[in-house]
Amino acid sequence: MPERIRHPPLDKEKMEKPETEIHLIKDECKGCGYCIEYCPRKVLEESDEINARGVHPPRIVDGSKCMDCGFCTAVCPDFAIFVTEKQKGEEKKHA
Amino acid sequence: MESGRQNRLKIASRPWNGETLVEDKEDKRQAKQEEQPRIGVYVCHCGLNIAGSVDCADVAKYAATLPNVVLAQDNRYTCSDQGQAGIKKDIKEQRLNRVVVASCSPRLHEPTFRKACEDAGLNKYLFEMANIREHCSWVHLYDRESATDKAKDLVKMAVAKAALLQPAKEAEVPITRKALVIGGGVAGIQAALDLADTGYKVYMVEKEPSIGGMMARIDKTFPTMDCSICILAPKMSDVGHHPNIELLTNSEVAEVKGYIGNFHVKVLKKARYVTKDCSACGECIKVCPIVAPNEFDVGLATRHGIYTPFAQAVPSTYIIDMNLCLNKEGIITCDKCVKACDRQAINFDMKSETEEIEVGTIVVATGADVFDPSVLPNYGYGKYPNVITSLEFERLINAGGPSAGHLLRPSDKKIPKRVAFVQCVGSRSDRAGKLYCSNVCCMNTIKDSLLIKEHWPDTEIYVFYVDIRAFGKGFEDLYKRARKEGVVFIRGLPAEIRENKKTHSLWLIGENTLKREIYRLNADMAILSIGLESRKDSEMIQRLLTLSRNQDGFFLEAHPKLRPVDAATGGIFFAGCAEGPKDIKDSVTQASAAAGRAGILMAQGKVTVEAITPLPFPEKCKACGLCVKVCPYNAITLDKEKKRVEIIEAACGGCGTCAAECAFGALTQNHFTDDQINAEIDAITEKDADKKTVAFCCNWCSYAGADFAGVSRMQYPPHARIIRTMCSGRVSQKFVERAFARGAAAVLVSGCHIGDCHYINANVQTQKRVERMWKKMEQNGLNKARLQLLWASAAEGEKFASKIREMEKTVANVKPEEIEKAKQVFKKALEES
Repeated sequence: MPERIRHPPLDKEKMEKPETEIHLIKDECKGCGYCIEYCPRKVLEESDEINARGVHPPRIVDGSKCMDCGFCTAVCPDFAIFVTEKQKGEEKKHA
Repeated sequence: MESGRQNRLKIASRPWNGETLVEDKEDKRQAKQEEQPRIGVYVCHCGLNIAGSVDCADVAKYAATLPNVVLAQDNRYTCSDQGQAGIKKDIKEQRLNRVVVASCSPRLHEPTFRKACEDAGLNKYLFEMANIREHCSWVHLYDRESATDKAKDLVKMAVAKAALLQPAKEAEVPITRKALVIGGGVAGIQAALDLADTGYKVYMVEKEPSIGGMMARIDKTFPTMDCSICILAPKMSDVGHHPNIELLTNSEVAEVKGYIGNFHVKVLKKARYVTKDCSACGECIKVCPIVAPNEFDVGLATRHGIYTPFAQAVPSTYIIDMNLCLNKEGIITCDKCVKACDRQAINFDMKSETEEIEVGTIVVATGADVFDPSVLPNYGYGKYPNVITSLEFERLINAGGPSAGHLLRPSDKKIPKRVAFVQCVGSRSDRAGKLYCSNVCCMNTIKDSLLIKEHWPDTEIYVFYVDIRAFGKGFEDLYKRARKEGVVFIRGLPAEIRENKKTHSLWLIGENTLKREIYRLNADMAILSIGLESRKDSEMIQRLLTLSRNQDGFFLEAHPKLRPVDAATGGIFFAGCAEGPKDIKDSVTQASAAAGRAGILMAQGKVTVEAITPLPFPEKCKACGLCVKVCPYNAITLDKEKKRVEIIEAACGGCGTCAAECAFGALTQNHFTDDQINAEIDAITEKDADKKTVAFCCNWCSYAGADFAGVSRMQYPPHARIIRTMCSGRVSQKFVERAFARGAAAVLVSGCHIGDCHYINANVQTQKRVERMWKKMEQNGLNKARLQLLWASAAEGEKFASKIREMEKTVANVKPEEIEKAKQVFKKALEES
């Protein structure tokens, strides 16, 4: 359909986006960068800090973009990242 | 068929010895006596259309003095039964072996007169027409003397060409009994069903995930207030289940090659990522994390990354929007839908594929877009939440739409008490939008106002209009009903819509032109009645199928009255809004008409193609291969061993660009031979050449554009004499040189716009040749403004007319020395022939 969309959807508020929390175990990370590379929403990037293994672990750019696909968990060779769903009403914490 | 082709080849390579092709003994005897051309000239008055500005009797008298003319007369309507009967009688009694009719455009009546000639036993290629209406009387309405002089010249040209005409036999081409319908709106659906029910295989290509088009999005139809999707859904379902229809949704036509009866089409089937096993249970959408506005609801509702645009979609198979899906090619990061699908219908490995199909006819039913009113800042669309378009209104009032049929103000989701409709948004305006009337908006608004009254009778409704056009069957009744129900119609569009920032209510300010007073109306919601415009991608379809479009962007029919659903390109037909804005009833009517027209071709199973293929003279051929290079159809091959070229006639499109390229005169085009065109040039330049322009026009665009200038009575000076060729690619440098060598003041070469050429790209050669000529003229110190190149489409009559006006100065200012110099420079052109 070629029309330009000018009005927000009427049921916008009803739509729920998964609220997630991304947990990084920084010192487990070996800096392979798979999670950064494969995140479909580009939630992660390489940080400047250096962890116990002497590499740059990832950093969360914008946690609200996370869709809880869980691919980072699946792809991490060192079990250094996992995502949990936030319970409703729970206060937003910065991961 | 094969033998027919060979037969024609034989005839073509045999030098003309005065024999016609008639087989009967009796006719052969007659043919022997016809070694000398015996031309009959008929000058038509066309009522006062021609006689009003041309002295037809004088033209006929003049024609009688021309060489080979044995009979010349003027009559009121040559195309009438009596007129035709007269020609037939003269062919038999006066033993005419050539006929010239000076009347309207050959694009209109050439087939009529050719048929009359054939009926009387004369080969139809022995007929020639002089266009003294569209190219003469209608464009020189107030200059009887010049118009008469020009008409004489045009007749002289036709007679000169007629004397050299040769009979030809047309090849027959078989027609594939399959059809392609482009576009799955109501027009495409109707055309496809009609063709499929007749028994032909139909391919329907739709670029959206579902068929249904614009009608599926509308709530009710006027004037009967039927539920739109309720009457459309069964038809959509019929298309989906019809054994003769192959439905290709989410697909686009990528390439079209071939010609009438034999189109080779490549269709790009984009990956859907959901297989036909999908049962449309909807489990996948529950788990899909992606949310986006649903385009089908103009963004007023949401959909997921995997979705179906609407409940009645055909096919009902879901689709994954890969632009939004978390998964990218080769990497599946999110498999929630895959896990939710019981039938394992989701396949992320699906690839886009190209399907090649062979069809005989094509129905173009690509529909129309709607006008985007955000370009009109005074109405605040896109800025004020409560200003919506009529299309958004349809989705809001639709029970299956985003608000379940409640007309809600987008700002606070309350039902409005006062509603204003603004008509002609994007239509009938030279300042913003399009010049034309979009045909459907008036009735659509009346229907919409009644719908509101039906659900919420207390709503105050105001319609701001320019004119209410309720012209169709039952339309006036509906209009009256709306007025009776209390809908207030106010003449005069609002100049501006302003918003109350707190309540988001609107002020409509303008002038009531009937009462001559300023109004300031408060409304809770304003609905902009937006017009229809041609599809943004119709240019692509135009190029793929070599069609023409009018100045409004809609596809141009072969004849506005008598062939309203045919394209000028054979085997292609139009249905629905692709041809012009129209309502559902008209779209369906036109679709059935298009299906009928396509059906006629396919029922016949064969079609004859014009005998306008190349005519080789092998003894002159140097096997240089230039013709092979310029042929757009690859219809010429070079046999290096035999040192000669071979022509594949069935593949030839008939542009004649090969003949124009040949430097040795080893190739010419049947029915547009070098001799015939030279004879026309000579006829023009015989007298007062220094006051005339020799104009070459291609049959499909510029000649049709000149016709359009005539039909529209655009007046231009009478210095130009038009020579018709099929393509501007036929115009050889030799012709231009000859015109100058004979003292012509100016030459105009005109054709279709680059990219729009009817013969793929033959007009690229035209450009090269003209540029070469300009260079040559410059080098020899000639004013190159005397040679003009014009690209004009069939709809650009004004462009053609203004070119002729512009060239008048050039013609008037050409000095005798300049004419003489050009004669010297190009004198070789005369020696060659």
